Amino acid sequence: MDYRSLALLEPIDARGRELRKIILEAASNAGRGHIGPALSILEIIRCLYSSVLVHDPKKPNLTTRDVFILSKGHGALGLYAVLANSGYFDVNELETFCKFESRLGGHPEWHNLPGIEFSTGSLGHGLAVAVGIAVAISNKQQRSRRVYVLVGDGELAEGSIWESALHAAKHKLDNLCLIIDFNKMQANGSLDEVLEINDLENKLTSFGFAVAEINGHSINEINLTLDFKPKGGKPLAIIAHTIKGKGVRSAENSPEWHHKAKITKDEIALLLENLY
Amino acid sequence: MRKTALNTVYDLAKSNPRIIFIGSDLGHGTLSDMQKELPKQFFMEGISEQHIVGFAAGLAKEGFIPFINTIANFFTRRALDQIIIDVALHNLPVKLLASGGGMVYAPLGPTHTATDDFTHMLSIPNMNVFSPCDANEMKEIVISESARNGPSYIRFGKGGEKIVSADFIAYKNPYTKILGDLNSNYVIISTGVLTQLAIEAMNYLKPPRRPFIVHLPKLNLLGETNLYEILKDRKKIIVMEEHQTIGGLFSQLLHYLHDKNIDTRNIDTISLPNKFIRNYGNQNDHFNKWGMTVEAIVEKMEA
Repeated sequence: MDYRSLALLEPIDARGRELRKIILEAASNAGRGHIGPALSILEIIRCLYSSVLVHDPKKPNLTTRDVFILSKGHGALGLYAVLANSGYFDVNELETFCKFESRLGGHPEWHNLPGIEFSTGSLGHGLAVAVGIAVAISNKQQRSRRVYVLVGDGELAEGSIWESALHAAKHKLDNLCLIIDFNKMQANGSLDEVLEINDLENKLTSFGFAVAEINGHSINEINLTLDFKPKGGKPLAIIAHTIKGKGVRSAENSPEWHHKAKITKDEIALLLENLY
Repeated sequence: MRKTALNTVYDLAKSNPRIIFIGSDLGHGTLSDMQKELPKQFFMEGISEQHIVGFAAGLAKEGFIPFINTIANFFTRRALDQIIIDVALHNLPVKLLASGGGMVYAPLGPTHTATDDFTHMLSIPNMNVFSPCDANEMKEIVISESARNGPSYIRFGKGGEKIVSADFIAYKNPYTKILGDLNSNYVIISTGVLTQLAIEAMNYLKPPRRPFIVHLPKLNLLGETNLYEILKDRKKIIVMEEHQTIGGLFSQLLHYLHDKNIDTRNIDTISLPNKFIRNYGNQNDHFNKWGMTVEAIVEKMEA
């Protein structure tokens, strides 16, 4: 069975459902949000904060912490749900999502919220910043620290990503992990219809990455791969096969749920009914 | 000017391991001594300006102070989004050293002539924008900005300019610099290497039309200066900049004086046109074409 089918069939556990409810309720309060992109990355972010990153919600500026950058900033709801659930801030604050003077905008902002390492939203920025942080960490000989950056597959159409990929290899950044949310959908429709990105594994390998391919909703596979440290000074790229809208049957693989600026309470009620 | 700026970065880096130099694809041998002596603080990263700016932001986020050098337009046009989001939004101490300000690269055409760089950089919150008039001033600015926790854009002239900055006196602000008789009713306000031309014009003109000069190596945050005190009630003010009229020093000044409720009808400008400038030639050819000459200044002063 291919990764995509496995990702589609992957069951959601109780914590996965709890996080999804947080996201849907926040979108319901705001009447808007990028729901689909938040759901496809949820297991990856959850694993990062539960068992991979060295971090302390009580000391968000801990100097020995690992760094995570959500380059696809429109997945903010997924990050907010996990950060709140991990103790960075009260989960009730999700009720303020996108509201005037909230700390939780449609894209994450570093100044606003503990746990956000870098403000993102304009695509194609996160990898360059992550490369800079990884070089800085290496320069300071902080050998235990690692940098993780999550990009969308549609985001790979940004040329800047590939500039930064060259540099990650040049600097032999084995402390850098690039995770690709390979849900094969973007705002307009499927990746194949908008801009095909074939043979991703070979592309990344030829750019100098050690490449792993996983079911991006399998907790075991995510944890095992995120902990993997490649040999030979190579940065790690993880192609995480995911499903846009994962965990909400009616939203899965639907470009309609990439982003909505007007979401009714009835629509959210329907999505909640479709949680599995 | 460029050589001085880069050597100053090198000197600063010797005593401060947080100072980093990043070049895109600079001429062979650029800072080769620094590369040998301080390899962990020297990066030559290739033609990838968008990446380099984000990369520098990442380094700055971890406590480093990166100075990047490339051609002005490749910052202000190519990497504008990265400068705004990665650097300025985060108010990180990334220092942009911009080669070829104004018409320095005239023979290379409008892809290289930086005639709109002030417009882009002045529009960015947190960004400090500088255009020094000679190498001494460049050195002072690089040293001072290395210690300031925020982003800077520092424009280079062609190089080899006469040292004139030492003749100026700071007026209540290190970046408001005065030369000449403050009692004159005529004023030239200038930035960058055109200040050299302003001095020539001042020396040529006879009282009562001999102006005093206000040299502004820093183009923004005019509200933090006391500039209005020396500009009110003058007969004629000419603003000079090697930049298009819209969006540079002239625009900043008009806004500033408007805020201070000062009449601006007596202000004229010597600047580049608001269009793509073709025709190649050299910087001086364009100075002559666009009225950046002593004769043109005198004519405006006497009008």
